[in-house]
Amino acid sequence: MSLQKHETKYVKDTIKRKLTKTELQIVAAEWSEHCSYKSSKKHLKMLPTTGPNVILEKGYDSGVLDVGDSYVVTVHIESHNHPSAVEPFGGAATGVGGVIRDILSTGTRPIAILDGLRFGNIENDAHARWLFKNVVSGIADYGNCLGIPTIGGEVEFDDCYKNYALVDVAAIGYGKKDRLIKNHANKGDLVVLIGGPTGRDGIGGSQFASNSLESEDRSAVQIPDPFIEKLIIETILEARNEKCINAMKDLGGGGLSCAISETAESLGIGIELDVDSVHTRESGLSPDEIMISESQERMLIITCKEKLSKLKQICDKFGVTCSTIGHVKDDKMMHVKKGKNTLALLPAEFVARAPLLDRKKTKPKYLKQIKKENKAKKTLDYSKTILKLLSSPNISSKHWVFRQYDHEVGIRTVVKPGFDASVLRLDNGKFLSTKIDGNPKHCYLDPRQGAIGCFEEACRNVVCTGANPIGMVDHLQFGNPEDPEIFWTFMESLEGLTEYAKFLRIPCVGGKVSFYNETPLGPIKPTPLIGVLGIIDKTPFLPVPPNNGDYLIIIGKTRDELGGSEYFEYIHKFIGGICPSVDFKDSKINMLAVLSLIKNKLVKSVHDCSKGGFAIAVSELSIFGNIGCNIDINNMPFVKNLSSEKILFSESHSRYLLVIDQKNIIRVKQFLSKKKISFAVLGKFSGDQINITYKSKNLVKIIVDILRKRYFNGLEDLLKHG
Amino acid sequence: MSTYVVHVIIENKPNISDPEGDTILNDLVLKGNNSSVKKIRAGKILKFTVEASDKKKAEKIVEKICQELRIFNPLVSKVVIEAKTN
Repeated sequence: MSLQKHETKYVKDTIKRKLTKTELQIVAAEWSEHCSYKSSKKHLKMLPTTGPNVILEKGYDSGVLDVGDSYVVTVHIESHNHPSAVEPFGGAATGVGGVIRDILSTGTRPIAILDGLRFGNIENDAHARWLFKNVVSGIADYGNCLGIPTIGGEVEFDDCYKNYALVDVAAIGYGKKDRLIKNHANKGDLVVLIGGPTGRDGIGGSQFASNSLESEDRSAVQIPDPFIEKLIIETILEARNEKCINAMKDLGGGGLSCAISETAESLGIGIELDVDSVHTRESGLSPDEIMISESQERMLIITCKEKLSKLKQICDKFGVTCSTIGHVKDDKMMHVKKGKNTLALLPAEFVARAPLLDRKKTKPKYLKQIKKENKAKKTLDYSKTILKLLSSPNISSKHWVFRQYDHEVGIRTVVKPGFDASVLRLDNGKFLSTKIDGNPKHCYLDPRQGAIGCFEEACRNVVCTGANPIGMVDHLQFGNPEDPEIFWTFMESLEGLTEYAKFLRIPCVGGKVSFYNETPLGPIKPTPLIGVLGIIDKTPFLPVPPNNGDYLIIIGKTRDELGGSEYFEYIHKFIGGICPSVDFKDSKINMLAVLSLIKNKLVKSVHDCSKGGFAIAVSELSIFGNIGCNIDINNMPFVKNLSSEKILFSESHSRYLLVIDQKNIIRVKQFLSKKKISFAVLGKFSGDQINITYKSKNLVKIIVDILRKRYFNGLEDLLKHG
Repeated sequence: MSTYVVHVIIENKPNISDPEGDTILNDLVLKGNNSSVKKIRAGKILKFTVEASDKKKAEKIVEKICQELRIFNPLVSKVVIEAKTN
């Protein structure tokens, strides 16, 4: 808990006196990397944040998108990596709680949760299994208690997360546009803290998140209480309807220090508060502890004097404790008192805006050492390889995970987890499609192309449901930014995302940066995670399983891009090769073509080619329809002559598999030819086995029933008997 | 060799909150006007019936199992392990 040299100098030059003990604690909490974004803030400005649907308001913790008919959708993404790595159940659960309060703070009701989880190798590491099981239970417990469905996400395992966990939670809210909280405050307004009591849990949590996890820090654990959170949600929404809320902020990292200084700064006001008025769990808490405690389930509300009694009445109705802790002034100062004594008096802007850093970046040396070709590999039997991949933890069905989540509560979930993206019904007759995607294996080999690839994959998944992408959120997770090589990977990813977002004109409506994700073995692989929201204007596209006689078409070119693929990493244990890159033009025309085919009802289902490549994507379609498929990959569109393994397992982007009814095949072919899309009719669904031939040679022959068993039992068997 | 029943009592550490205990206190006990009750902590108890040469050994065996299988998380939990003669 200390400031860095240049920060101490900045304090001295600006404030011109020594900070009090309390001030130092407040500043240290707020200037931690976690709260201040001091390494990344300068650069994040490059992302496009505006668009025709985006509603911007000062002090919002989540992105707001206009979805028409006077309704809005809000979205936010956060991680809870460090807490989950030491207390997986509580860490993951409080992570869900935090992001839900961000959604609530704009005045919208949370309607869905998505989560992206990453752990070490669960095949040989019992600790990774313990983390995985408990994180999933934590998310399930919290979300299910709140009655908010967990509708999707992704799970991935990689050796780089040994003894660590990445727990990313995205939440989606929905509400009326005219009920959004327009954050504002006038002199004399009251500052009210509602929710759970403040205690010693999570003291110094945000600084904890800004340090690497070398020694287990034992005081920073937070305990979830979903029932208080549920009461807070209802209290806030009723208070919103009664117009009791002028401005609102959730208490997260940095606790009161962060919420007070950021609210004062963003609204251009001063706030004076008395720590004695804060309701606490135990007696004997020092004022400093009250200011930086990260106890969960708390919200800060600014209300006017006339509305206070109504607000208290609503809190009483739901049994939520509230205390008036201070009032609004016009001096732009953050003033912390205990009774009559002043403990801290600093300009809010000074506290809320840490001096930003210009971190150095250099291209990492490891990138030069990565081999482009895997020369040592032996030839394997393709049928066995496909079966092995299908039952591998990264590819096999994740139903063991999402079956623990209530993904239907609220009766909005039209397309449920297990498909490309999940789809929610909105009250205005439209549908919202969402997906989050990451790929550290690709990002390790090429942080720029890897990040663009994650973005494209999330877009592809949303497009597969017939939705038009309208907004994205990003969560950028890296190691220690003080290492110039790591900072280089961050900048590459960020620049890549910016480039692609500008090209597709998809605004970035929210995000988070998480640094210092380090394990005893070193930094994690660069792990940007991208969430994309799409809108379906009329009927949602419900995928129909392939039937006897249906055609299989592939859209998009396959390239020599086995780098970072599951085939290289899981089967050959080889880290290297050429990482897939996105051809922007192809990406866009392929997306538009798929959307147009869906709109004209010419396809039965669409599936994107991603992890495991074409071979896995087609297996998944066969499993979905419980039907075999006869495929000839001779005329697969590719960039230059490819070997059969590259055609089968390369994870090239912008590719979609379409299932087409016989009666539509001519129209589909005509349409794709006219639009100059690279495509090929690969075969027909029939029988009970998958046959893949190449140059008249049979490469793959597997009975679908076996595929099915491997795919559905892979993960569960591992957890039960591993 | 004798048989011992080893009690493993697991509760949250004293300064970590306990929503279950708080709920029992606020929404059940205090609603019945039992104002003399000031605090309730919820926990979990496991009883291991173990064969060992003495009490200490029985406790050691159970402690090792609990640690290895992560039956509690030492980060959040306060644990008391005590053997009783059967």
